[in-house]
Amino acid sequence: MSLEVKHVFYTYQEGSPTESHALQDICLTVNEGEFLGIVGHTGSGKSTLIQHLNGLLKPSRGDVLVDGLNINQKEAKGKLKELRMKVGIVFQYPEYQLFEETVEQDIAFGPRNLGLNDTEIRQRVQDAMALLKLDYASLRKQSPFDLSGGQKRKVAIAGVLAMQPKYLVLDEPTAGLDPKGREEFLEEIATLHRKGMTIVMVSHSMDDVARYAQRMVVLDHGQIRLQGTPREVFSNHAELEAIGVGVPTLTKLLLELKAKGLNVRTDLIELHEIKDEILRALSEREEMAKC
Amino acid sequence: MLKDITIGQYLPGNSLLHKLDPRTKILAVLLYMIALFVVNNFWGLGAMLILSIVVILISKIPLRFFFRGIKAIAFIVLLTVALQMFMTPGEALWQWGFLTITKEGIRQAIFMGTRLLLLVSLTSILTLTTTPISLTDGIENLLKPFQRFGMPAHELAMMMTIALRFIPTLVEETEKIMQAQAARGADFESGNLVERAKAMIPLLVPLFLNAFKRADELAMAMEARCYHGGENRTRLKALKYGVRDVVTGVLCLCMIAGAFFTRFI
Repeated sequence: MSLEVKHVFYTYQEGSPTESHALQDICLTVNEGEFLGIVGHTGSGKSTLIQHLNGLLKPSRGDVLVDGLNINQKEAKGKLKELRMKVGIVFQYPEYQLFEETVEQDIAFGPRNLGLNDTEIRQRVQDAMALLKLDYASLRKQSPFDLSGGQKRKVAIAGVLAMQPKYLVLDEPTAGLDPKGREEFLEEIATLHRKGMTIVMVSHSMDDVARYAQRMVVLDHGQIRLQGTPREVFSNHAELEAIGVGVPTLTKLLLELKAKGLNVRTDLIELHEIKDEILRALSEREEMAKC
Repeated sequence: MLKDITIGQYLPGNSLLHKLDPRTKILAVLLYMIALFVVNNFWGLGAMLILSIVVILISKIPLRFFFRGIKAIAFIVLLTVALQMFMTPGEALWQWGFLTITKEGIRQAIFMGTRLLLLVSLTSILTLTTTPISLTDGIENLLKPFQRFGMPAHELAMMMTIALRFIPTLVEETEKIMQAQAARGADFESGNLVERAKAMIPLLVPLFLNAFKRADELAMAMEARCYHGGENRTRLKALKYGVRDVVTGVLCLCMIAGAFFTRFI
């Protein structure tokens, strides 16, 4: 079972003089249980793409299949709720969507729309809050608007998790958080992934993608330019620079060392292997100097 | 659906009307409204109709923009026409149950309907050919004489500018919030009236909160740049009357005189 995007085109304001092709011939498969990173600069079509994954947008051409169900076809119409339950989308700055009087009620909004009964809703709210390490007992009666920025965001994401989606899609989930909040947050997303949830994360940070994603795609002008494991993708330095998304900080370090004449490999992304590689290159140079 | 909102829409162009001073255009529209209600027979109404068509042609605005504007108020026009037709007392032409159409009613209906349509067309000419900024500049300038009596002309103009500026922003934000709530299973499209009204709460609460927050931030940003209204402010584009404004003014006065004249035909 998977999310499949097949030759999808999407055009905004089709037929008018301001029409723009946001997506062009996108083919992408998100396998169950994987962590996929989507990168690209502003306006490359990332947000448009993820809105297709639960039928908020319908492709102008091409097909989107959620576990085999085509969102274009008539039969999908009655199953829209089921679809939204399967694919949870957390938009940018999700805390701007909070609206209820208490944290508990806000998180319960999704499950309530699914028509669940009260005990089940309560259970789901508790589970969702526990996943993000939010304390149910102390927070449930608080107004979401009295919380700190990071906590507001957690509550908003809990609202999506309470739908118990199989696929969780996050659009720049760490934008606007402080460094500590970011770190915590990414760890929690990684934990969700370890527990078996499929994660699709849109990000501007190559470091985050290099660290967490198992596979990644690079979007540029509505087209997929590169696709593969972070290790494969980040070895195409020149192309990434040309697209304007850049490479992770550590890869950049290796590239600069190489430019300065140190003989290092540049296709590494993990911190420990990079450390070993630099030490190796340094000792190699010392050996050469001795001779 | 929200993209269809055309309030205060401006269409860039190069026609004579685009080049006129906004104050001239505002005053001309005011005089036009007066003339439209001064005329009281078909000669006058016909003359106004021809005049309006000429103005529309001069503006070089594609006709579909007017039709779109008219479509938005079609219901009001039809209601007015129907009310006039059935409610005016006089010589009965046709009767069915309690419904009576009178000769006077038909005349009134034609008059009111045409007046409304012309009014909307010409005011949309004003906004279509004038940028919102120069429009508010013009209003501010025209209201200046009343400042002596305590009218806050500059502040009013500033408020209008800000309001117009934020319409697209709010529309965009509404769409974003709708999508986010739809992703949580909210349903804005089905259900009866009460259910639909209730479904708007998850949309309206965040929208208002953000609007207030944004207003606060904008006020702070203006304060930080030492904004204070009115006195001694200069403009990038100072308003200046030209020859074409004088000519337009004379023509407008002719229009009013002509409108009064048609009453005696």
